Amino acid sequence: MAQNLTSIDIVKHYAGVTALSSGCLTANSGEVMGLIGANGSGKSTLCKIITGVVAPDEGQLLLNGTPISFSTPVEALNSSIAAVYQELSLVPSLTIAQNIWLTREPMSGIFVKYRAQRMHTQELLDLFADTVRTSFTPDTLVNELPPDEQQIVEILKAVSTNPRIMILDEATSSLDNRQVDRLFNLIGEWKKQDKAIIFISHRMSEVFRIADRITVLRNGKTIGDFDSKKVKEKDLITLMVENAKDHLEKTDTSISKQLSETVLKVTNLRTLRLKGIDFEVKKGELLGIAGLQGQGQSDILHSIFGSIQFSGIIEFDGKDHKFKHTSQSMAKDIALVPGDRAKEGLLMRLSIFENIMLPSWMKYGLPLNTGKATKDAVKTSKSLKIIMADLNMPVSSLSGGNAQKVVIGKWLQRKPRILLLNDPTKGVDVGTKKEFYNLLKDLCKAGTSILFYSSDDEELVGLCDRVLVMRDGKIRKELPKLKLTLSSLITASVTSSEEFAHAED
Amino acid sequence: MQKIKGFFKKKTFVFSIVLFILVILANFTLQYTNLGPDKFAKRFMFLLDNNIRGFLPLILLAIAQAIVLINGSIDLSIGNLMGVVAAFLVTQYTMDDTIERFLQVFVIAIGIGVLAGALNGIFVSLVRIPPFITTYATSFVFSGIAMWILPRPGGNMPEIVTTFYRKTLPLSLPMGIWIILILMLLWLAFRNTRFGAHMYAIGGNEKAAFTSGVSVIRHRISVHMIAGFIAAFAALALVLITGSSDARIGGAMTLDSVVAVVLGGTPMSGGIGGVVGPIFGVMTLGFVRNIVGFADVDTWVQSLVDALIILIALASPSFIKLVLRQVRK
Repeated sequence: MAQNLTSIDIVKHYAGVTALSSGCLTANSGEVMGLIGANGSGKSTLCKIITGVVAPDEGQLLLNGTPISFSTPVEALNSSIAAVYQELSLVPSLTIAQNIWLTREPMSGIFVKYRAQRMHTQELLDLFADTVRTSFTPDTLVNELPPDEQQIVEILKAVSTNPRIMILDEATSSLDNRQVDRLFNLIGEWKKQDKAIIFISHRMSEVFRIADRITVLRNGKTIGDFDSKKVKEKDLITLMVENAKDHLEKTDTSISKQLSETVLKVTNLRTLRLKGIDFEVKKGELLGIAGLQGQGQSDILHSIFGSIQFSGIIEFDGKDHKFKHTSQSMAKDIALVPGDRAKEGLLMRLSIFENIMLPSWMKYGLPLNTGKATKDAVKTSKSLKIIMADLNMPVSSLSGGNAQKVVIGKWLQRKPRILLLNDPTKGVDVGTKKEFYNLLKDLCKAGTSILFYSSDDEELVGLCDRVLVMRDGKIRKELPKLKLTLSSLITASVTSSEEFAHAED
Repeated sequence: MQKIKGFFKKKTFVFSIVLFILVILANFTLQYTNLGPDKFAKRFMFLLDNNIRGFLPLILLAIAQAIVLINGSIDLSIGNLMGVVAAFLVTQYTMDDTIERFLQVFVIAIGIGVLAGALNGIFVSLVRIPPFITTYATSFVFSGIAMWILPRPGGNMPEIVTTFYRKTLPLSLPMGIWIILILMLLWLAFRNTRFGAHMYAIGGNEKAAFTSGVSVIRHRISVHMIAGFIAAFAALALVLITGSSDARIGGAMTLDSVVAVVLGGTPMSGGIGGVVGPIFGVMTLGFVRNIVGFADVDTWVQSLVDALIILIALASPSFIKLVLRQVRK
């Protein structure tokens, strides 16, 4: 039976931020539709709306011409729409078989037929035979699996429902080449079975390989639908970037800073995510880290700060320090502004004053010199222009932008020499962003070295002296100030290294 | 080495079995002269018979607690819930009740248990108050009700039932052992149902279970109801030992049930474990207390040694894992 799914002008706001302003797409049976867009363009939100994980604010979904709406993933599943989610939805303490057939267990009377369940699972696992380890059996516990095999289980779980419309949201992000090839063979077969497939990937080469049609999203808006054989990769990238509004005046490029003294040197840094990273940071430099989300950017910052385990050499002032605890790196004047401020950065119930002072109390003697502390806190809050009623108000009373200022103020209080920023402007309003950018520039002038990871490509282009573009745990491209433009940055993020030379022409 | 490690990792209840054998042998030696019959095997059976009937109320509570913990919740009211049902039973029965009347009253008692469990479940999963708080609060509600029903220790049990309970059943195995065997079989059947499978899924990752279409709220309410159902049987096992009850008896058994479950290798984190381990956990706990009781020492030494042995037993699995990790390095 022919299937046709259409979404018309879907709108979704998250706490004042518009994730989708006009999400349109069409998926037809017997066809693979590739969905592409830069960071935060709304691809995942659109998919979540289609599968009932998130409810849309406005807009309409049509299945074969009939309006539909799902309030839970199960309802979507009952209409034969299955999705492989970006965040894994597996129960780690259960086996592969139990996870795949959860709520759809083969039954005889009131008992689960575990043998039949195991056999059905084995049939599914055979689809990926020879691309996985031998320990990949129906009875293996999911928490014993590496990320790629967990992702395969997730794919097979969707396959096991035998859907007519299948959504693959970054389903290839942890797979290796052989596993991707196998998946693409399977997608080819599904096409022949008249299934409709929506394929989302950051990797342009993959989208071009598999998609028949490509839909482009930009800033929550669908801006085009193309036949993949008739469109060029370069044009699509331009489309993903074009007209992105420049709310940042680029700082004067003519004044090239005098950067000589190396403060931080990283050699062959490896973690679970990172596969050998080398770079240097000079005194007073603002070094940006770019790339699609989840390519290992946070791991770099956390390794330097000593909050995760790593191998490799991190030299600070020419000396190798193996920080095992954050207090050691803090003692060397390194500060990290974390990405998730509510979880890692702030004690929401405590006052602004307590939050700002938290990492600096040891400077105020015993008994604590609270008078001096209050003076310093007032100074910090004034210099950051935190809009608040009183220093003693709880942080939870502040807006997102102001709360983020408190996180930064907390570390500026310590006068760091190296400041690590982990996507600090997420969910921060434009005005605060501007103040924040000025603050960063001032800090650099004063000699602070800043390592700045951001998922907002525009601010990296506007601010940084140099940007490292990450992909799959490696630095794929280093863009110096002169070559730094939005399109060069996005091109480096989405094209694989082999294609890069070609795309750069 | 890897094999040994894997074995210990998977079969956490091995520790409780080893410990169980040790304490049961210690008990056997200590009590040897007091065990009436002269044949070795018979003396052993006598020892088990003497003790297991006494352990049975806690065994049932531990089973209920294990099921709730696997589901990712906890029930701190289970002991007092048992106390309510026990108080109800002994005030309703008389010495010469018939079997029919015994059953009629007991069905109502089960109803009370299930209802109380449903109350816990609704607060935990529908109103979303953390289970730790909810059941701690309801434990006081239940304890108050028990004291209202049975202000002074006492009460009656039908003689027909108490006599039957002391009988030795086929294969000359004592009643307590038969009941434990039946409980284990029931558990095996239970965990092979869809309900049992979902119980583990919810305990393992509630959100993932929900995304996969498990009705988490309904399931968790049912789990607390099952715990109440089992607690009613625990109450029966309790009043059958002495033929009477005390409203305060249940409170202390709540934490014992949690300790026994953990001792039996079912962690409090949810999603893994079983009920067989906790059954041995209760017996281990009971026999440890017997040993300490037999030693002629002051009460404070008794409770101190009692607590120390439990602490060592609880710590040993993680301690051995720690040693194994060091050895590997």
